Amino acid sequence: MSNMAAIEVLNLYKSFGENQAVQGVSFDVSQGEIFSLLGPNGAGKTTTISMLSCLLRPNEGDARVMGHSIRTDAMGVKSVLGVVPQEIALYEDLTARENLSFWGKMYGLRGLELKKRVGEVLEVIGLLDRANERVGKYSGGMKRRVNIGVSLLHKPKVIYMDEPTVGIDPQSRRSILDSVVALKDQGMTVLYTTHYMEEAQELSNHIAIMDHGKMIACGTHDELVKLVGGQTRIDLTLHMDDGKTIDAWRDIEGVTHVAAENGTIAVLVNDSNIVLPKLFEAATNHSARITSVAIREPNLEAVFLHLTGRALRD
Amino acid sequence: MIRVLDIALKDLLQLSRDFKTFMFLLIMPILFTFLFGYAFGGFGGNESDSRLPVGYLSQDDNWVTDSLHELLTKSEVIRLDENEFRSTADLERLVAEGELAAAIIVPDGYGRAVLKDKTARLTVIADTGTQAWITIEADLLTIAGRLHDAIRTASIIESVDAERMPFKYAFEQSLSAWDEPPIAIKETKSAAIEKAGSNSSAMAHTAPAMMLQFAIAGLLTAAQVIVTERKSRTLQRLLTTATSRIHIVFGHFLAIFFLIFTQFTILIAFGQFALKVDYLRVPAATLLVAFTAALCISALGLFIGIVAKTEEQAIAFSLIPMFVFSGLGGAWVPLEFTGETFQAIGHISPVAWGMDGFENIVARGLGFESVLLSSMALTGYAIFFFLLAVWRLNVTEEK
Ligand SMILES: Nc1ncnc2c1ncn2[C@@H]1O[C@H](COP(=O)(O)OP(=O)(O)O)[C@@H](O)[C@H]1O
Ligand SMILES: [Mg+2]
Repeated sequence: MSNMAAIEVLNLYKSFGENQAVQGVSFDVSQGEIFSLLGPNGAGKTTTISMLSCLLRPNEGDARVMGHSIRTDAMGVKSVLGVVPQEIALYEDLTARENLSFWGKMYGLRGLELKKRVGEVLEVIGLLDRANERVGKYSGGMKRRVNIGVSLLHKPKVIYMDEPTVGIDPQSRRSILDSVVALKDQGMTVLYTTHYMEEAQELSNHIAIMDHGKMIACGTHDELVKLVGGQTRIDLTLHMDDGKTIDAWRDIEGVTHVAAENGTIAVLVNDSNIVLPKLFEAATNHSARITSVAIREPNLEAVFLHLTGRALRD
Repeated sequence: MIRVLDIALKDLLQLSRDFKTFMFLLIMPILFTFLFGYAFGGFGGNESDSRLPVGYLSQDDNWVTDSLHELLTKSEVIRLDENEFRSTADLERLVAEGELAAAIIVPDGYGRAVLKDKTARLTVIADTGTQAWITIEADLLTIAGRLHDAIRTASIIESVDAERMPFKYAFEQSLSAWDEPPIAIKETKSAAIEKAGSNSSAMAHTAPAMMLQFAIAGLLTAAQVIVTERKSRTLQRLLTTATSRIHIVFGHFLAIFFLIFTQFTILIAFGQFALKVDYLRVPAATLLVAFTAALCISALGLFIGIVAKTEEQAIAFSLIPMFVFSGLGGAWVPLEFTGETFQAIGHISPVAWGMDGFENIVARGLGFESVLLSSMALTGYAIFFFLLAVWRLNVTEEK
């Protein structure tokens, strides 16, 4: 692992009309690490990735990918890059092998080398036996795997993966996460985006948390968790609540954040031993009943709650 | 750049997976050629004889007249339609009704007059305003000229050496010396056929018409490939590789061009050998028209693919110009049958230029130079559509 940054991002801005999708994002990705952009839908992850792959031109700021500027050397950037787009981008009326072969050519591979790499990638993504079926007939998970495989053909130095596990079965998800780690072990630099905090936690060396176009925190998992201090997160579900209980909880001393979403209420507290009885008390006072309680170790979810006051869910 | 080729090959692979492609490019035009061809001219009658029917009535009884008759029977342009019971009035009526292209009446004493080198006239009934007449007139003048010359030559030879060269022998010799006359009237043959309304004239119009019409219809699959590429985000992905927009545009253009040009090649071969439409009479001219027409239609296809937002739009945007351009351009009703104003308006359609080009070769029997204007117009349209496509691309490009 060298010290030189694989990706240096300097104060990127991008707006679509009134909508300021990315507002001053900066971070460095070292060579050979997995770096995650974690944030809810609409945070600006895809827009950032698009700028870093020269598909969108930033309104302000610059970035260097393996030393190539996205502003002045788009072809240089593209030549070191593999991009796995969030949306599956394949020719559905062609087979997996034909797709890989075509994309390999677009990445500059030819002849025997192309053939060899297509075979290798098919093996890696586990589709060697079904390589001659049309992609349109594949399941979502299989398409995802081909979608990733395409970007590996030319063994890029840097690979971007934009939410590669969205909408697939747990088994495919597992195999994709394993392959991301395998890529890192081969020395590739991976920029990974997700809105699942477990993925970011499991995979990444460094994590940048994004929200509303801004980067609100950046560091290793442990560094980020320290941001919430000694706080603990408690997840509760309530029966027969008219909203007053939640308001009451906010006023309890030792409660720093309360966020309700999808029927679960996440509460960030300083000391669960002291606060938990008070939560029950307040619920009883408002004739509501707590139906479940879970005390969680501090995690990225808690960090997001701490920093934004909202839960990180889709 | 090799990427352009790769993209074109990928497109063709995709197109080959879609049955609609073959349907519109080959099956439909062949089907419709038969359908329209039948409607225009029918299949009955003497298919192989495309010569003009010309009535013949001889009132003269002389061996010179017999020679004239023989020459006329051998004509490449005229097919003698003989019926000894017809009167001059009958012939006049038949010509007026268009049953005959013209009628020749050999007056009594014609043969003797020719022999004596006196003024000898054939009576010809014809509508002198028609293309057909110009053809027949030229052929008649040649034949009559041959007869006169042969007789004059024979009498000169006889006067020199009557013993060894009797007049009739000399006459036959000098007549046959003309077996390859220097005047080539053959080329105007087909224009006359049009008036005569025989079967292959219908084909000479219908075959190129359907070919051009369904080349435009064939765009709908090609345009769909481009639309799907954008919708499936593969276009975006292409742009993350070191492939530039211009590679992509030319790749698609090349694929469509190859498709349309192959269609032309197959349909021209089919027309030539199965329908007896004589495309290969001037191969270079046919090639030029097919090439420029394919350029023009491919550029149109590229434009449609870039403008259409959905597959449905791609279909609509291909079928609308197909109907408008084909109808306007005389693919259904030949523009010659319409007025001057409509002909001028019709030439807004590139199909009209394509039709002009092909018909100049297969129906009007003209030479290579006759297709230059059409080819230039088609190339102009090709450039126009191509620039339009590139302009649209730049407008829609997000920055
Ligand atoms: N092409 C676009 N045109 C207009 N708005 C866009 C476009 N792409 C993204 N946005 C907006 O920018 C914001 C960030 O979107 P995105 O980068 O896709 O977020 P994420 O990938 O984190 O879900 C959203 O509000 C989204 O609606
Ligand atoms: Mg996204």
